[in-house]
Amino acid sequence: MKVSELYRGKAKIVWATEDPERVVMEFTEAATAFDGAKRGVIGGKGRCNATMSAILFRYLEGEGIPTHLVEQVAENELLCRRLRIVPLEVVVRNRAAGGISRRLGIAEGTPLARPVLEFSYKSDALGDPMVNDDHALALGLATPRELAQMREMALATNALLRRFLGVRGLELIDFKLEFGRDAAGQLVLGDEISPDTCRLWDIGTGEKLDKDRFRRDLGGVEEAYEEVLRRVQADARAAAGEPVLFDGVVKVTLKEGVLDPQGRTITGALHSLGYRGVEEVRVGKLIEVRLRAADHAEARRQLGEMGQRLLANPVLEDFAFTVEPHGSPTARADPAAAPGTEAGAAGADEAGPQAEAGAGTER
Amino acid sequence: MRFGVVVFPGSNCDADCYHAIGAATGARVEYVWHRDTKISGFDCLVLPGGFSYGDYLRTGAIARFSPVMREIARFAADGGLVLGICNGFQILQEAGLLPGAMRKNESLTFRCQWTWVRVEDNRTPFTLLCEKGQVLRIPIAHYEGNFYLPPEELAEVEGRGQVVMRYSTPAGEVVPEANPNGSLGNTAAVRNAAGNVLGMMPHPERAAEGVLGCEDGRLIFRSVVEYLRGSGR
Ligand SMILES: Nc1ncnc2c1ncn2[C@@H]1O[C@H](COP(=O)(O)OP(=O)(O)OP(=O)(O)O)[C@@H](O)[C@H]1O
Ligand SMILES: [Mg+2]
Repeated sequence: MKVSELYRGKAKIVWATEDPERVVMEFTEAATAFDGAKRGVIGGKGRCNATMSAILFRYLEGEGIPTHLVEQVAENELLCRRLRIVPLEVVVRNRAAGGISRRLGIAEGTPLARPVLEFSYKSDALGDPMVNDDHALALGLATPRELAQMREMALATNALLRRFLGVRGLELIDFKLEFGRDAAGQLVLGDEISPDTCRLWDIGTGEKLDKDRFRRDLGGVEEAYEEVLRRVQADARAAAGEPVLFDGVVKVTLKEGVLDPQGRTITGALHSLGYRGVEEVRVGKLIEVRLRAADHAEARRQLGEMGQRLLANPVLEDFAFTVEPHGSPTARADPAAAPGTEAGAAGADEAGPQAEAGAGTER
Repeated sequence: MRFGVVVFPGSNCDADCYHAIGAATGARVEYVWHRDTKISGFDCLVLPGGFSYGDYLRTGAIARFSPVMREIARFAADGGLVLGICNGFQILQEAGLLPGAMRKNESLTFRCQWTWVRVEDNRTPFTLLCEKGQVLRIPIAHYEGNFYLPPEELAEVEGRGQVVMRYSTPAGEVVPEANPNGSLGNTAAVRNAAGNVLGMMPHPERAAEGVLGCEDGRLIFRSVVEYLRGSGR
């Protein structure tokens, strides 16, 4: 996948791939602040930021904002469309904090009457100076159309992220976006969206859950990143206290030792087709259950109960199941193939009281 | 004396049972609806054959959660007589009122044919008028009638003499050739430990009148009446 290093930034490494139109963004644990004057390591940051970015890009994409994400290929790596980055950072602010407080003397946390959008010229040598539209146009950094598009997409992204993060107990104070042009010359949202590039405060307590903990030595830096990831990963309904949709797959099999006339007939048919190696065939049932439950544990408990009370007949049958949040990549897969049920984990973990009774669901 | 015939969505032997019981015994017969949550005044409840709930998931698996089933369980716990025929037998197994479960027939075909069953126990309320060892000719009609119990549990059921009828030859030999579906021990009918609940795969209501070619089925219904008379009803 990764062929050669294209660019090593302060927080990410950009890799070329076999496909000239795609790059792998590797998220590292390196942290810098104040234009590199302060350096450190935040454990787990690569995983947190890559995963959070992937979730948010996928969400935005679903809401009609084009992003560079193709897929998350490792816990700290995103496969992305290669962009020619517009050398402008786009900042959107909902409350005063950081630069705007300093420049304009507004107390941190002061709500802004309307979202404020700022452009900065991406230049470490100059310290990323703020520029206006005329600067950007005069320097040829973007076309008027692109400026308008970036403004529109940034404000739409702000509205979407505020809602998405809001139901998860996170207030979006401000954030920075980068845009780039894809192979067709279209503007696409790039880079990352993470606690490195967003200010996020807990809605209840106002506690800072972003890179300011590192900048200002507030402690609990790694915990804050993990907490943000945890909340972003939580289903929105769960965050809002509503039941969440889960996909369960229940596999019902005949108990060991119960004669299976269907299996025997199929064995014979396979033999006559020339599959001499077939020793035994046993026929079971696969039942897909979509259900709403308060959380994963509750969904698991209910499915175990369903298996016991209705889906399987304990005299003849065993059952095992998997259950995943609806839409997650492993949901609706074969329970035997899904992670977490291999090697008898289903029997121990998820086969419900039957397993406890020693019915042995692993095959 | 009152019989109740329970009607589930998909029951299709309810009318036959209703007719045959009345004709064979002269007793009052009433239908009981699967949604009924209050049933009273019955002396015997019959769960007839059919395809309750289309046999979806497993035969009897859905019917067993019908509202009426709670009443039937209570009725049985109080010693009331409950007879499950074919699908009715499967429902009673699913409900845990009778032991075992039915696999698909060994032949993987629906078997609709006359069978001979040997009466193993003539002290039950349902076989009182039979001789022990008597062979009855009663037809079966099912796909899932292949009686199964794990070996240890089967031994217990056998030990308590709960197998009431076995498929046999017309001469009463219990041999594999007489087994139409692969049932363990040629089992055709079992009772609960207390003896007041019986399940049988053969359809006695289909062999209860001369015009049907055989009247052996009457013995089952008349035994119930005889038993109830003896117990003072
Ligand atoms: N899809 C993309 N294709 C190519 N480059 C990208 C893409 N998305 C983001 N980039 C660029 O990849 C680099 C990511 O590295 P990192 O964020 O660590 O850089 P940095 O230290 O912040 O430096 P910079 O000032 O260049 O942003 C940035 O230069 C960013 O602009
Ligand atoms: Mg950067």
